[in-house]
Amino acid sequence: MKAPVRVAGIGVVCVPGGGAGEPVDLARRLPAVLAALARTGPPVRLIQPIEEVAVLAAHEALASAGVSTPAGGEDVGIALGVEEGIDGIKAEYYRGILKDGLLGASPIMFPFTTPNTVAARISILLDLRGESFTLCGGTLSGAQAIGLAMNAVREAWSPAMLAGGVTSVGREFLDALARTGRPDDGQAGSGACLFLLEPSTSSGGSRGTGELLGYAEGFGREDVRDAVQACLEDAGVRVEQVKGVWVTAGGDARALLEPLRRFAAKVPVRRPPAPSLYAASFPLAVAEAVQAADAIPGPVLVIGRDCLAGASAALVRGRAPR
Amino acid sequence: MPEGVVVTGLGVLSPLNPDGDRERFWTSLCAGETATGEIRSFDASGYPCRVAAEIPRALLSCERSADAPALRMAEAAFDRALAHAGIMPGTGEPRRAGIVVGTVMGGTIAGERYLRGECVGHAETAGALEDYPLRAIAACLARRAGFAGPVLTVSTACASGTDAIGIASRRIASGAADLLVAGGVDAVCEFSFSGFSALKALTADKVRPFSRNRTGLALGEGAAFLVLEREGTARRRGAMVLGRIAGYASRGDAVHLTAPHREGRGLAAAATAALGDGRCRPEEIDYVSAHGTGTTYNDWMETKAIKAALGSHARRVPISSVKGALGHAFGAAGVMEAVVCLLAIRDALVPPTLHLEEPDPECDLDFVPNRARSMAVRSALSLSAGFGGQNAALLIRGGEP
Repeated sequence: MKAPVRVAGIGVVCVPGGGAGEPVDLARRLPAVLAALARTGPPVRLIQPIEEVAVLAAHEALASAGVSTPAGGEDVGIALGVEEGIDGIKAEYYRGILKDGLLGASPIMFPFTTPNTVAARISILLDLRGESFTLCGGTLSGAQAIGLAMNAVREAWSPAMLAGGVTSVGREFLDALARTGRPDDGQAGSGACLFLLEPSTSSGGSRGTGELLGYAEGFGREDVRDAVQACLEDAGVRVEQVKGVWVTAGGDARALLEPLRRFAAKVPVRRPPAPSLYAASFPLAVAEAVQAADAIPGPVLVIGRDCLAGASAALVRGRAPR
Repeated sequence: MPEGVVVTGLGVLSPLNPDGDRERFWTSLCAGETATGEIRSFDASGYPCRVAAEIPRALLSCERSADAPALRMAEAAFDRALAHAGIMPGTGEPRRAGIVVGTVMGGTIAGERYLRGECVGHAETAGALEDYPLRAIAACLARRAGFAGPVLTVSTACASGTDAIGIASRRIASGAADLLVAGGVDAVCEFSFSGFSALKALTADKVRPFSRNRTGLALGEGAAFLVLEREGTARRRGAMVLGRIAGYASRGDAVHLTAPHREGRGLAAAATAALGDGRCRPEEIDYVSAHGTGTTYNDWMETKAIKAALGSHARRVPISSVKGALGHAFGAAGVMEAVVCLLAIRDALVPPTLHLEEPDPECDLDFVPNRARSMAVRSALSLSAGFGGQNAALLIRGGEP
């Protein structure tokens, strides 16, 4: 059993909205943030939709934790889950080459074809000079980023971590999946969900909306079972103490929970009401579980699964509003 | 690191050793051989610079190798690392074993093919993009070995491989796993080549790190993996300990998407933090494996970063970059350089920085020009930096406790 990690701030952005968090008027909220950042640095112009939702969610996670930006110093790091969210950019870049040869290779667009550019944008604009990681685990990208950040904070490798997932996919991406025999229930759109994680023992008193108690991954035939078991061990919590389950994977939630059948029959099982937002899905479920503390007063297990990356499980506990 | 993390196996496949023979990799590097040459893996005739360090595709034998050279390279290096460590797939506790792969491009070549097909109106069939997702390589290797623990893919530009080792070390140190295979892989492809060409970062002949006559970087490729284990577990099973990951840190520059901080702020911070993580004083460092891409801003900032992190010791410690020999293998680069550190410790031999006839006055440290140097190495620092202001540093020590 290890110490929990405090969720000190949350930033949620969903475009076009639905699911966790409120539908966002990006055109209204983002300029205000960029204008505020421009007061302490050069004017900011974001190019890609994935940058917009990521920067906005990051700013709101820090702001809701009372961390002013630009942060400066090495105290805040970032762990971001990104994968399919840049596929549209990669396709557009390469189509330029197919169309116009070398002249079609855009030096402006090329840097955006690497996943870590999104985290870089956040770190540059908010001046976060701590650790910087980008994890690519498909729909579990955000989960793995949260797990990595949680470990970094627990073990005091980083004083605080901004962690979560971000995506931006178009209809074309979903069509390509369908054409290649891998249709899923994801939705077109952009979304980001980030948390500011701090040690539960750090100064800040009762600040924050919840805690991450445990996290683990599993892979292979028994991936869900293994992830859940290791997560509970990590948290030092018995399965009977779990008060609810959130499931984020695509497909049939009951099938996913089959390995946990006896247990899952006794606790409320929920799914985010909106279709999957890929790398942002797991963090969005964590956000909902944390914010549902008044309805579920106890540890909630969040489970996700990806067709390639296996399964992730996180145990979270919300803090009921005072 | 709270608990000892040791290296018990390594596998490396590079243009200098396309057969995966790690001793050939090492002897070629130390003999000053270079692997860069005219690009053959795709038609580069339209590009002004056409140099890269490649593994002949014919050697990556598999019916699908045209689409998945990165996966083939990864499999070859991964299998050799496990064999070197004496680990048979399916043995041990699967839930406590996993993999962390660093890659920048992953299976992008499959994506290129998909888009080419689309361009000519060729409908793709099911499974055409099977190798495309970045996470596909890690998943494939984990299935191959029967791992059931963490299966992670990290993509932090040119620091990906170093970060993969660091992340895996931390997982073991914190008790979340007993055995993790950490490594990196990337293959030369038109996608990345065109980007660096558009950025005018490529050389037309040789990579000359820290040289006044530098002309840019060359893309390289390959794969390298380390088997990392909890020290107690490794010693109990009688594994040969090749070295230890004694410290690690990552830091962001937070200044620019493609250019490094001019003073090397992030890299210096990462190096300093890695030393602190390993409770190591700067004067204990016997060798620094530099990122050393052979681009002006990298060479300048890296020199400054080493001075900032090591203080007066920076002028005494030998520093070399192997990118003059291997090109820049992106996700694999940091892992290949970690292998270099481990072998330097083993053989008391430091590989040279090639093509360094006229040192850049701004790079006024001991960059071990052109000839390998015999010297005892107990502790080595391996540095990586990448687009997005990524910086990572590993402290690698010999196997003795």
